[in-house]
Amino acid sequence: MAEVKVKVQTPDAVPVEIENRIIELCHQFPHGITDQVIQNEMPHIEAQQRAVAINRLLSMGQLDLLRSSTGLLYRIKDSQNAGKMKGSDNQEKLVYQIIEDAGNKGIWSRDIRYKSNLPLTEINKILKNLESKKLIKAVKSVAASKKKVYMLYNLQPDRSVTGGAWYSDQDFESEFVEVLNQQCFKFLQSKAETARESKQNPMIQRNSSFASSHEVWKYICELGISKVELSMEDIETILNTLIYDGKVEMTIIAAKEGTVGSVDGHMKLYRAVSPIIPPTGLVRAPCGLCPVFDDCHEGGEISPSNCIYMTEWLEF
Amino acid sequence: MTQAEIKLCSLLLQEHFGEIVEKIGVHLIRTGSQPLRVIVHDTATSLDQVKKALCVLIQHNLVLYQVHKRGVVEYEAQCNRVLRMLRYPRYIYTTKALYGDTGELIVEELLLNGKMTMSAVVKKVADRLTETVEDGKTMDYAEVSNTFVQLADTRFVQRCPMVHIPENSDTGPSPPAPSLVINEKDMYLVPKLSLIGKGKRRRSSDEDAAGEPKAKRPKRPMDSKEPIPDDGIYWQANLDRFHQHFRDQAIVSAVANRMDQTSSEIMRAMLRMSEVTTSSDAPFTQPLSSNEIFRSLPVGYNISKQVLDQYLTLLADDPLEFVGKSGDSGGGMYIINFCKALASLAIATLESVIQERFGSRCARIFRLVLQKKHLEQKQVEDFAMIPAKEAKDMLYKMLSENFISLQEIPKTPDHAPSRTFYLYTVNVLSAVRMLLHRCYKSVSNLIERRQFETKENKRLLEKSQRVEAIIASVQATGAEEAQLQEIEEMITAPERQQLETLKRNVNKLDASEIQVDETIFLLESYIESTTKRQ
Repeated sequence: MAEVKVKVQTPDAVPVEIENRIIELCHQFPHGITDQVIQNEMPHIEAQQRAVAINRLLSMGQLDLLRSSTGLLYRIKDSQNAGKMKGSDNQEKLVYQIIEDAGNKGIWSRDIRYKSNLPLTEINKILKNLESKKLIKAVKSVAASKKKVYMLYNLQPDRSVTGGAWYSDQDFESEFVEVLNQQCFKFLQSKAETARESKQNPMIQRNSSFASSHEVWKYICELGISKVELSMEDIETILNTLIYDGKVEMTIIAAKEGTVGSVDGHMKLYRAVSPIIPPTGLVRAPCGLCPVFDDCHEGGEISPSNCIYMTEWLEF
Repeated sequence: MTQAEIKLCSLLLQEHFGEIVEKIGVHLIRTGSQPLRVIVHDTATSLDQVKKALCVLIQHNLVLYQVHKRGVVEYEAQCNRVLRMLRYPRYIYTTKALYGDTGELIVEELLLNGKMTMSAVVKKVADRLTETVEDGKTMDYAEVSNTFVQLADTRFVQRCPMVHIPENSDTGPSPPAPSLVINEKDMYLVPKLSLIGKGKRRRSSDEDAAGEPKAKRPKRPMDSKEPIPDDGIYWQANLDRFHQHFRDQAIVSAVANRMDQTSSEIMRAMLRMSEVTTSSDAPFTQPLSSNEIFRSLPVGYNISKQVLDQYLTLLADDPLEFVGKSGDSGGGMYIINFCKALASLAIATLESVIQERFGSRCARIFRLVLQKKHLEQKQVEDFAMIPAKEAKDMLYKMLSENFISLQEIPKTPDHAPSRTFYLYTVNVLSAVRMLLHRCYKSVSNLIERRQFETKENKRLLEKSQRVEAIIASVQATGAEEAQLQEIEEMITAPERQQLETLKRNVNKLDASEIQVDETIFLLESYIESTTKRQ
């Protein structure tokens, strides 16, 4: 009688069981488990079986494969998410992951191509698919109007993409900016007026003519001319344009942490000022504003003797 | 000397001195320093005329001479000095504001004659003032001399360099041209003259005090043969001092605009204190202590010491940086920073020109680039909050007019445009120079237009002059109302209208020249102060 070789085989754990065990382990360690942990739990399973089980779980979309500094991590995937990706193949999942990683800044299609190494045609097909499934959306960037960035459907686009409060649908709202500009200036001007009329000693007068950016922000909010919520940084950019107009000057003072409106221990104060010289002499003559100044010389077509601008100006 | 400057000099010389002087003057400006023979040869004018023209120019301080080696005397024209002729009305007006009519006439006489002795000035001014004053009163010489001494004390007039006679003057032949030297401390020293007399009227129908009949009139010129006590001591107007005054005025008005009246008064007091202690082209004044400032505030301006201190602190802390605090002794030592003040004024002029020419949005972009020094196209749009298309348009417009320049920073050695950063920046000195050039051309244009207008209506002007002469002579011989009426009707109503318009236009053009000259002054002062530092 031939010897019945009784191979002592490790009980061939059914693959499903292995998977279930792995999933249980994952639930136990929600932030992920390494290969080592699985091995410790089920030392009797061979590496190959383990690999097969893990692969199946991955392809079913129940596990997430992450790389960490110590090696590979497996994490249970959110069941909601898992449902979404049903029916998508690996490439789509990859692209989806890349877009998800980009967060709310979005990512350009060329960058997706670089990261995933997929050909352009594939990418386009996948993007179209994902868009129809309402998983991602395209947002036009305000910086380069031809560029489209993709981001997850339910994310709010970041300010740098849409331009923030100053842009409504890619259009720069210049009238809105102008109105805010004038309102801020009026506020600062009236503050300076009241300070000047109070006729106290000059230090107090000057200090009371200053308004902090927080005060201006409150005033604008209360005015209610803006339909969009404006933050203090927005108001500061408006006040900066007033500085560049030469109508307002700014100082920074040290403020105690915790006083209203202080950022990192200092506060910005603004004050309305008037220009230091009246319009200069050159612009009171027609030559100062003449568009054909360089062509003008005696005896030519355009000369001082027959200058029409001068004639008009003299008749004034 | 740029073309525009030469053109302007030629127009000014022609208007003030005539064709021949203009020819010689312009030739000298164009070619630099030249000896007499060369001038005669190049300008193809007779030696006599050239000599006379040079006399006129030297008398008015427009041409200097220098003895070179081998005994050749070369003449050099001062282009800057010729351009100052545009500013004469402003000098006269300033003196009028400070010293009244007397001062005004003294400076006017000095400017019109170049150099004069004190006695001659006093006499002439007294005569002129007597004419304007009502009948019976005359102007005393003493009063005029007093004003003259005041002007010399505040350095508005100065002595001209005198002929230097070396001790051993009998060795060797006399040099071809006298060398002029003046001692620093003698420059404002008024000679002790006892000028006694009164101004005399010129009108022939006057009965003067001595009752001299008309026959004795030819004897008058004999008086001038008396030895003049201060012969050889000539005076000229000190233009640098006037410029210092204008600069101070500009600073005070800037402070008044930015802060309030009191601060500007304090500023004026500080500037007055440093008038004599600091030279006109120093970048900073001497430190002034707050106690001194308090003492020298104008009487009747009673603010307490503490308030003064507060104002001084405010001035020192202001972002304008006109005033700086240099120490704490004596209640706080303060200096005025002229470099910074002139720079701020020049930049304000630039901004004002851009605002008027291109609009306030352009001005916003200009100030933005000025403050941030170097910016990219995208950053300009973001900071200025101006739509991209408009911002681009404005930047290119300013770029084409050379107010803004581009700085290229290549990323790759081959300077490929797509891989280069282009930064916008403002080079203040070159923009100011460009604007100054434009100012010179504008003034030339205005003068030409004025001459053109006058020439157009020459016939009419001559006619009106003739009619006035007829009226005057008819009135002198006693005429009836009807005759006068008839003569006046020789000028018809539309012609009268035309004359009115002409007068108005000429005045307007004149005023405009002076206004542009104000801009020229600010820009030139800035260029001078910056280039001197380097």
